[in-house]
Amino acid sequence: MDTFSIKRIDNDDYSTLHLEGFLDAHTAPELESEFEKLMGEGRFNIVVNFSELNYISSAGLGVFMGCIENIRENGGDIKMCCMTPKIFRVFDLLGFPALYDIVDDEEKPLNYFANKTHKFS
Amino acid sequence: MRRIHQLSLLLPLAFFIAACVQYLGIVSGDVYSLAAIYTRDGFILISLILSLPLIYKQKWASDRNVLRGLRHLFFLIIITSGILFLSDERLGLLQERFLEKNVLSASLADAVFIISWAFFAVVFILIALGTLRNLIYVKRKRTTARNFTWLMIVLLLYSLASVPEYYSESALDSTLLKYLNYVLLFIFINFAVINSFRVGWINYLNKKQKLGCFWGGLILTPVQIGFLSRFRDINPIMSFSPLLERFIEMGMVFLTIYLVTSFLALLSHLPTAKIYDRKMQQVQSLQDLSRALSSEFDWAKLVRTIIKLASEVAESEFAWLELYDPKSGKLALISSRNLSQSERQKWKASTDGRLVDKLSRTKDTMLFNQASKAELVRSVKKWKKDIGSLMAVPMIASDRILGFLYAAKKEEFGFEQDDAEMLRAFSDQAAIAVQNARLVEESIIKERLEQELRIAHEAQMKLLPKHMPKIQGIEIDAVCITANEVGGDYYDFFELGDGKLGVVIGDVSGKGPSAAFYMAEVKGIMEALAKEVRSPKAMLVAANETLYRNFERKTFISLIYGILDAQDRRFTFCRAGHCPLFLVNSHDEQPRLLEPRGLGVGLDAGTVFERTLEQMQIELKEGDTLLLYTDGVTEARNPKGDEFGEERLAETLLQVKSGSPTEIKKSIIHNIYSFFDGQNAYDDLTFIVIKAQSDEKAR
Repeated sequence: MDTFSIKRIDNDDYSTLHLEGFLDAHTAPELESEFEKLMGEGRFNIVVNFSELNYISSAGLGVFMGCIENIRENGGDIKMCCMTPKIFRVFDLLGFPALYDIVDDEEKPLNYFANKTHKFS
Repeated sequence: MRRIHQLSLLLPLAFFIAACVQYLGIVSGDVYSLAAIYTRDGFILISLILSLPLIYKQKWASDRNVLRGLRHLFFLIIITSGILFLSDERLGLLQERFLEKNVLSASLADAVFIISWAFFAVVFILIALGTLRNLIYVKRKRTTARNFTWLMIVLLLYSLASVPEYYSESALDSTLLKYLNYVLLFIFINFAVINSFRVGWINYLNKKQKLGCFWGGLILTPVQIGFLSRFRDINPIMSFSPLLERFIEMGMVFLTIYLVTSFLALLSHLPTAKIYDRKMQQVQSLQDLSRALSSEFDWAKLVRTIIKLASEVAESEFAWLELYDPKSGKLALISSRNLSQSERQKWKASTDGRLVDKLSRTKDTMLFNQASKAELVRSVKKWKKDIGSLMAVPMIASDRILGFLYAAKKEEFGFEQDDAEMLRAFSDQAAIAVQNARLVEESIIKERLEQELRIAHEAQMKLLPKHMPKIQGIEIDAVCITANEVGGDYYDFFELGDGKLGVVIGDVSGKGPSAAFYMAEVKGIMEALAKEVRSPKAMLVAANETLYRNFERKTFISLIYGILDAQDRRFTFCRAGHCPLFLVNSHDEQPRLLEPRGLGVGLDAGTVFERTLEQMQIELKEGDTLLLYTDGVTEARNPKGDEFGEERLAETLLQVKSGSPTEIKKSIIHNIYSFFDGQNAYDDLTFIVIKAQSDEKAR
C-alpha cells in the first residue's frame, strides 16, 4: 500500500498542510478529517503545500471541493502551492486554476493572508 | 431398574422352598441325620448362588440416582430393624430353646415363623448388597468389580465353612476348621474394608444433600449397629440353616462397615462442603463459558453471558464489563448486572483514571477488600457508591487489552485471593470469546461490502452500451475494464438522427458503490438532454446545472461530450475537465493532443463553468483516428511505480494507427497489460476509438 501523510504547521494567521505520498480514495479520508479539525478550531486560512505529493486521484481532489465552500463562507481560503508539474497537470485538466489560487511558492499565500489579517484588524 | 427375569427369581426360590420342606420334615418327624442337614444346606447354597445375579442386576440409570439408592437403603434398614424389634420376644424364646438342646424341637408354627424370618432377612440382605454394589460402582475403576466379586465369593465360602464347623464331631477336624474359619473371616473383613473405601459418591452430592445424608446417617448407623448386635444375639435361623445364618450375619457386618465408613467420610466432607460446592460451580461456569465461546457469535447474547457467568464465578452482587471501542479506542460500558439505570448513566470511562492504567500495566487481577480505603477505587466510587469490595481484571486476548471486567460486593472483605485467580482465568476465556465474536462480525461486514461492490459492479456494467453504434463511414470500438474495485468510468453513444451520433466519456470522482450510483445519474441526465440539446456546450452547461445541484460537494465528474456528423465527418465537442483527446492522422509523425478549456462538471454552480468551457470542432479525414480515454489509461502504474503516461499512449497509437478500431483497442490493452507486468490496475481502463474509414470503404 502506498503511504500518505500530512504535516501541519500552525502560524498566527494561517495553517500550512504539507502533503506527502499518495492521495487517493483510500487516503482521502485522512485529509478530510484534517480539514474538519482545522475548521473545528476556527482556522480557515489554509495553505496546502504539494511539493512532496506524488499522486492525487479524483477522490483526493474531491476533498478540496468538499470543504472549500465552508471555508470561504467563514472568510477563509485554501491556497495551493509548490505543485510538481505532474500534480499541476491533474488540477489543470479539471480546471481547478479557475477556482483556486495555485501558486509556485509558499511566499505568495503567506503575504495574502498577512495582508488580509492586517485589513481586518 | 431393569426388569428381572422371572426364571432367575423362580429358581433360587424353588431351592429355598426345597430346603424349607426338608427342614419342616426334620422338625415334625424329629429325624436328625447329618445327610439331611447337609442336603438342606446344599439347597440353601445353590439358592444363594443362583440369587447372586440379583445383586448384580440392580442397575441404576446413572450416578444421579445415588440419592435414591441411599433412600432405599435407609427405609430398608429402618423397616427391617422395626420388624426385628417386633418379633424380638418370640425370636428370643426360640433362641433359648434352641441353645438348650442344640437341635430345635419346635412346633410347626415355630418352624414356619423361623423360615419366614429367615426368608425376610435374606431378601433384605440381598437387596442391601445390591444397593451397596451400586454405590461401590460409582466412578468405578478396573479393580472395583473384581474386589466386589471377591467379597461375594469369600462371603459364600465363609458361609459354607459354617456347616461342617457346626456339625463336626471330631476334635481334630474342629481345630482345623476353626483355623480355616478364622482365615476366611480375616479375608472377608479385608475385602469388606477394601470395598467400604469406595465412597466416592459423596463427592457428587451438593452441600444440601450431604447434610441430608448426615442426618440420615446419624439415625441409621446406630440403628444398624444395634440391629446387627441384636441379630447376633437372638438368631434361631441357625436351626434352620447355619449357612444361611452366617450369610445374613456377614452381609450385615459388611453393611455396617460400609455405613460406618460412609458416615465418617461424610463427616470429613461436611466442613468443606460449601467450598467444594462453590468450586464445582466455578468449574461449571468456566465450562459454560467455553461452550458459549465456541458457539455464541451473537454479540448481545455473548456479553450478557459473560456478565452472568462472571458474577457466578466471583459470587458477586454486581458485575460490569468495559470494552475499548475498536474504532474510537474509547472505553464503553458494554454490559452490567445489578447496576441501576442512573448508575449506568453516571458511569464515566475512567481512561484517565489510575485504576485502568495500573491494570493495563500489571495485566493482572486487582483485589480491593476495603473499597472505601483504596485510592485507586475512588473513580469507581464516584458513580457506584455502595461497594465494599471490588475485583478488577483486564481482558487480554493476543496480548491486546480489550477492556476490563469488574465484580463487586456491598460488604467489605467479600472476596478471597482464589476468587481473584478464578476471575482471571475466566476473563482470559471471555476475552477470547469477545475477540472471536468481533472477528466474525468483521468478516460478515466485509463479506457484505464485497457483495455490495459486486452488485454495484454488475449494475455499472449494465449501464454501458451493449452494442457499438453503426454510422456511415465511421468505425467505432470501445472498452471499459474495471479493476478490483468499482470505479466511476462511463461511456455512451446517442443516436441523434440525420447521421449524427452523440459520444460521451466520463469519470466520476471517487470509487465504490457511490461512484457507480452517480454514474447512473449522469447517464440518465445525459440521455435525456442529448435528445433536446444539439450543441455540446449547451448540453454540458445544462448537465452541470443539474448535476451541481444533485451532487455531494466533494463529488464531480469529468466529461467529454461530442457530436459526430457522418455527412461532413466533423466532430464537435467540449471537454469538461476530462483528459484531452488524441487525434492521429494517417500521415502524422506524432498524435495531436486536443485540449480545449473546460471545468469538471459539478465543481462550479454555472457562471465560471460556462465562461471557461470551450467548444472545438475538427474534421476527420480518411484514416484519421480519435482516441477518447479516462485517466485510468495514463495513470496505470507498473510495479516500479512508473505511470503509463500520455507519451507511451501516444507511441502505442502511432504504432497501430493504420489498424481498425478493434485492432487499435487490442494493441492499447496489450501494451498496458505488458507494462503492468502482472500487477493489477489501480483504476478502470476505459477508452473509445473512433476511426474515419477510407473513402473506398465508406462507399
